[in-house]
Amino acid sequence: MTDRARAPAGSSTGGALRRIAAMLRDWVFYAYPLVLLVLLWEAANRLGLTRPLFLPSVPDVIRQFATMLVSGEIVGPLALSLYRAFAGLALATAFGVAIGLFMSRSRFAHWAFDPLVSIALPTPKIAFVPIFILWFGIDSLSKILLVAFTCVLPMVVATYHGAVGVSRSVIWSAEAMGTSESKMLYRVILPACMPYIFSGVRVTTPVALITAFTAEMIAGGGGVGANLMFAQRFFQTSTVFVDILVMLITGFVFDSILLRLRDRLIPWQDEAERQ
Amino acid sequence: MGTVAQRLIGAAGAPPRWLQSGARFVPVVLALTLWQVIVDLGLVNRDFLPSFSDTVAALAHMIRNGEIGLNLFVSLYRALSGLVIGSFLGIGIGLLMATSARADGFFGPLVATTYSLPKAALVPLFILWFGIGDVTNILTVVLACLLPVIVATYHGVKAVPPVLVWSARAMGTPGPAVLWRILLPAALGSILTGVRIALSFCFVLTISAEMIAAKTGIGKLIFIYGENGAYAFMFGGLMAVVIVAYAADRALVAAMHYILRWDDSLHSVTSYD
Repeated sequence: MTDRARAPAGSSTGGALRRIAAMLRDWVFYAYPLVLLVLLWEAANRLGLTRPLFLPSVPDVIRQFATMLVSGEIVGPLALSLYRAFAGLALATAFGVAIGLFMSRSRFAHWAFDPLVSIALPTPKIAFVPIFILWFGIDSLSKILLVAFTCVLPMVVATYHGAVGVSRSVIWSAEAMGTSESKMLYRVILPACMPYIFSGVRVTTPVALITAFTAEMIAGGGGVGANLMFAQRFFQTSTVFVDILVMLITGFVFDSILLRLRDRLIPWQDEAERQ
Repeated sequence: MGTVAQRLIGAAGAPPRWLQSGARFVPVVLALTLWQVIVDLGLVNRDFLPSFSDTVAALAHMIRNGEIGLNLFVSLYRALSGLVIGSFLGIGIGLLMATSARADGFFGPLVATTYSLPKAALVPLFILWFGIGDVTNILTVVLACLLPVIVATYHGVKAVPPVLVWSARAMGTPGPAVLWRILLPAALGSILTGVRIALSFCFVLTISAEMIAAKTGIGKLIFIYGENGAYAFMFGGLMAVVIVAYAADRALVAAMHYILRWDDSLHSVTSYD
């Protein structure tokens, strides 16, 4: 569903041309519902069913997109939002993997963290925005930490499941060969749960982006989310659409990148994930 | 000797269930105690972190004067009606996609491109179209709940062993009955897992939408207390949210266990309890 059909590999220049043609065809087939949606939107506009204030025309939005791209109104805020999302995700991954491994190796850690994780996991972390503003201000720090707080729990769970799922016989063999506890973590368990960690990162990447954008919308302080709210306040609807488009494209691009990375790094994961 | 303790612990020697599940929450009690102690000892500034007892007192106050009841009711109404509508739509579209290549070709790209869009970003647009209030809020929640349920239903139905469908057909089961009696029950575990994700989304989106623009709701309440500097009340509202979200998740997991009690793969479905 998410994978676009792969074009057959060609060997000669004619093959390359055919490959491009096939890719183009696949892409058109893939994107037709999106094109249809845009056409419908433009038709509603042309027929005067809506007012531009509520629904700007497609050319207007494209023009606004180009203007904002040139003036840096997209790149600057997007860079800020991405910095917040990925700094938070990096923190969450570091702490989540550490806590998850710790929980899998120590009964005490499991006892201590398990109920806290199971309470915190279903909590809507976005409700903590006012507290994070209070503690860490309205600038980047509060957003980075909110992203980290949101993403750390799924990372803990992913790592823990990966580490617990490591085959007993592998651990026993390593123990029999006199592997120390720290080596056991680095050389045996961590590599074995890499697919789970990667899968955790893939699941939390959109969460990180969404949390960063939403926190910006609520708390302000720059970034694409804050820009969107600002534009709405002044009824610049085409700018609102451009910012939504930017978020949509960003999410889609990062998801595609991670999908490619997974195919490259751990091709067997696809099968494991379906179970 | 020790008969009382023995009777308390139970004849078989193993602690009774209530004690076991109670003991599970000892770390939570310890964490709350730690919170109380560090504030009381003045290790953190009381202005920035109200103590646990102050928070509980504020929450009790808001429960008594009806503030929590009213706003929580409004938020739950938005969250749960969005969840229900989104789930049913999602199951329908997911089923359609899994059984028809044409539907897959149409909805697939739409789902893939909009999956990682923050649905909260649509709130400003919906405010323009529908004004501030329930419609904007519920619509946002519906869209957010729709996608995980579609994906879960799709994968669940796709994973149904074809042998089941073939056998049913061979025994003369008509098409719609295959859907109702074979595909849906077999995919139910996966569908409910999707609904569980949607449940967490419905709270996130309701509160986000309320914090972005609303007149009522628990998200708005927390936000207003935060802006006015009444931090014990802000923490109290947040505590109510944490409790409700946790209780809702537990209730759904319990329901899943009940509904899927015939399913062998149940444990993989509710993997993190």
